[in-house]
Amino acid sequence: MMQKLWLKKPTLNYNKDVLDIVQFGSSVEDGKTPEDIDIAVIFNKIPLKEQLDGAQEIKRQLETLLEIPIHINSFDFYSLFDSSNFAKESILFYGKSIIHGDDFAKRFGFSPRIQIYYSLEKLKKKDKIRFNYMLNGRGGEYGLFREHKGKLLKPGLIEINPEFENIFVGSIKEFKVDFKVRRVLLG
Amino acid sequence: MNKEEILIKAGKEYFYSGNDEFDKGRHNSAVVLYFKALVSFSDLYVLQKTGNTPSSHTDRFKITKEKFPEVYNLLDKDFPFYQSSYVQIMSKELAEVIKDDAKIMAEKTNTKL
Repeated sequence: MMQKLWLKKPTLNYNKDVLDIVQFGSSVEDGKTPEDIDIAVIFNKIPLKEQLDGAQEIKRQLETLLEIPIHINSFDFYSLFDSSNFAKESILFYGKSIIHGDDFAKRFGFSPRIQIYYSLEKLKKKDKIRFNYMLNGRGGEYGLFREHKGKLLKPGLIEINPEFENIFVGSIKEFKVDFKVRRVLLG
Repeated sequence: MNKEEILIKAGKEYFYSGNDEFDKGRHNSAVVLYFKALVSFSDLYVLQKTGNTPSSHTDRFKITKEKFPEVYNLLDKDFPFYQSSYVQIMSKELAEVIKDDAKIMAEKTNTKL
């Protein structure tokens, strides 16, 4: 899918004050059909006008690669972490660096992970088996773990990459089991 | 009043009101008003060049993207801040940037501020 820009690491021209270009929002989540692409351009501390002009230059280049609208935001580290920036958690935790082709959080030394705690206590035995098949696969078919690089940390606790949260949560919900999602940054 | 006179009057009014809000430190209001001034002067520019005015934001973006990319670039750059001014705190620096863009369009339309 072309909207996974961060996996393609497109060649872009940008000035030396650009620290990173981050894709975030629904376009980085598997299992969703985004209507637009959210991009955050992270700058050194330079005047806002230069940030906005620089971000527009990048937007123009990205528009040639995509068929859906791009929403571009420019930040320096002060504005990125400002309390008025409601998108900061999404950028930091779910954001993917288009420059580096990896999690934006890794620029800070952290790996973002989703941990899903669940209980199968209320399920019938046959549904527990179905649940197990869903995660691990059956008869040569891939399960969610193999397909989306998830792992079982211990019985009742799954760990996955953030982009697969929607897929795992959606699948688990179908079993009507109790579950809880935690977002963690591993050091 | 004809269309051109209306757009000039509206653009100037928004711009000066933006200055009033800016001077009071009300940057969200200033951003909204400066952006509205920018739109009025952009529409005036389109009117001067084509004889017609855009009927909506969608129309405005479409026309300027096709015919006046330098104007489109200003609108496209600043529009997200106008949209988010309801839910985000706008900075003094941002208000100044949009004020400058409104001035650029005023100059392009020979409107004296």
